[in-house]
Amino acid sequence: MSSTTPAVIMDNGTGLTKLGFAGNDSPSWVFPTAIATRASASSSKPSAPSKPSFLSSSTSNSSSKLSGGNLSSIKRDMEDLDFYIGDEALEAAKGPSYSLHYPIRHGQIENWDQMERFWENSIFKYLKCEPEDHYFLLTEPPLNPPENRENTAEIMFESFNCAGLYIAVQAVLALAASWTSSKVTDRSLTGTVIDSGDGVTHVIPVAEGYVIGSAIKNIPIAGRDITSFIQTLLRDRGEKDTSLKTAEQIKQEFCYVCPDIVKEFNKFDSHPDMFAKYMVETVSKSKIEVDVGYERFLAPEIFFNPEIASSDFLTPLPTIVDQVIQASPIDVRKNLYKNIVLSGGSTMFKDFGRRLQRDLKTLVNERVQQSERLSGTKSSGVAVQVISHKRQKNAVWFGGSLLAQTGEFKSYCYTKQDYEEYGPNIVRNFSLFSVP
Amino acid sequence: MPAYHSTFLAEETQDSRTVGNFAILPIKTKFKGPAFPSLSDYDIIDEVLDLFRANSFFKNFEIKGPADRALIYGILFVSQCLNSLNIRVSHNEAVKILTNLSLENFAIPGDIGFPLNSLYTSPKDKNEELLLRQYLSQFRQELSSRLIERLYAEDKSKPSKYWLAFTRRKFMNKSL
Repeated sequence: MSSTTPAVIMDNGTGLTKLGFAGNDSPSWVFPTAIATRASASSSKPSAPSKPSFLSSSTSNSSSKLSGGNLSSIKRDMEDLDFYIGDEALEAAKGPSYSLHYPIRHGQIENWDQMERFWENSIFKYLKCEPEDHYFLLTEPPLNPPENRENTAEIMFESFNCAGLYIAVQAVLALAASWTSSKVTDRSLTGTVIDSGDGVTHVIPVAEGYVIGSAIKNIPIAGRDITSFIQTLLRDRGEKDTSLKTAEQIKQEFCYVCPDIVKEFNKFDSHPDMFAKYMVETVSKSKIEVDVGYERFLAPEIFFNPEIASSDFLTPLPTIVDQVIQASPIDVRKNLYKNIVLSGGSTMFKDFGRRLQRDLKTLVNERVQQSERLSGTKSSGVAVQVISHKRQKNAVWFGGSLLAQTGEFKSYCYTKQDYEEYGPNIVRNFSLFSVP
Repeated sequence: MPAYHSTFLAEETQDSRTVGNFAILPIKTKFKGPAFPSLSDYDIIDEVLDLFRANSFFKNFEIKGPADRALIYGILFVSQCLNSLNIRVSHNEAVKILTNLSLENFAIPGDIGFPLNSLYTSPKDKNEELLLRQYLSQFRQELSSRLIERLYAEDKSKPSKYWLAFTRRKFMNKSL
């Protein structure tokens, strides 16, 4: 059965979870990685059900757990089913009886008990599939500890009994997703991935499918910071509606990256039609008009000029990318410069790739010229290319879908039999996809 | 990309006019004062108004020469002007308010009340002091009158709210 069904792709990010089947070009479900459980205050039991099992068993109240007996374990079983995930969780948490949790922090799973229940609902309530019949492709952040992989495998094989499992690094999948761009000629798994979601932006160098862990850098600027910067600008101007939701809508609809902010200010002066208007519909069905001004280009500018919004982080994104590549082994640097791939919602601004490429090229050319001057020899030059493509928003998921639909995918997975024969540590290593 | 510098830095030569380390740049103006008439179409006042919005976002600025000091002074003065206006001030009232503001007693580099004394050197003697005071007075009048043109370009009855939004921002965390 599992030889004909499509693989399930699950990309659990800090902010959003993307779910769907291999072969599709977009995920079937995208919802917040959130779970709402019944608030523990309402139950009289000393150990809260929302606590992960390994925590509650190691604490001093293990005696009360033993004496709890059969009755409480039945009650607990019922409570285990009383939870919501995704958008429903956000809705449920508005009431008094549920509390909201985010089981993934900084890309890594922090609460395994909640994550297990999150996956349970993902599979049975959203995907509505039998895990025995499907192979699963899960994603992990770079530098994920192997113990986390083992825990994941334990849950997938023992709780869900899934047919096969592959855990892929998100950055590698993002590279694979860029193969859809016409600029990519040699489908290699070497490149620099700029992954910018809601919380953090990662710059990850990948050489032939392996992440160069020592050179990864994180930037504390991402979608959320852009939204709150828009909000401050709206408030400075005293707009009628300055909610976070309005700021977010403005970010998605109106923002773009400009080549030079002074010229852009002047362009707004000479072309008043650059100022836009955004209509907010309030609860009482009345409409409020919010003017959209300079935030259109100033908001994404914080990637390139972090100083305008924050006072503690001042290094522009192009400089960080340059530092990351310079920290990588010398024999892959040229290929890392040549294949810079964007991934994640915050890289979706118009002309983001173009500006990044221009700024990075300036940095690289300066260095090349300096070394030519010092050594007196002619350099063959370094090509800098930033790849933008249509699947950027869900690049990681799409890359997974692309790889998992190939015929060879299943031979790279570990099956339930493999797991039972070798134990959880089998998932510490996965062989890489050979490039078709 | 850090904050923008004055383009007049490039035109500085040995015999450029300065007082202390403040550049006395030519201005095209009808107000009386010691400034030379500007030969080019684009003078320091235009530059201040162009760079004001971009530079207001920056807290760090590396001074590269006397022209940058003129630029900083201009940007901080624009910010002071905007702070003395609000959204209900009409064009005529604004002219009155800003003319008073540019002519009132103001501190020049070297005076006790001047906020940037750590970055500006004071004039050498009484003559230089007089020259700088007269130049700045002319500079302020011309700047405020051209600022008003921009503020009320769209609507004579109220200033542009996009400009007024910059009152909250402080270039280099300083104000005059």
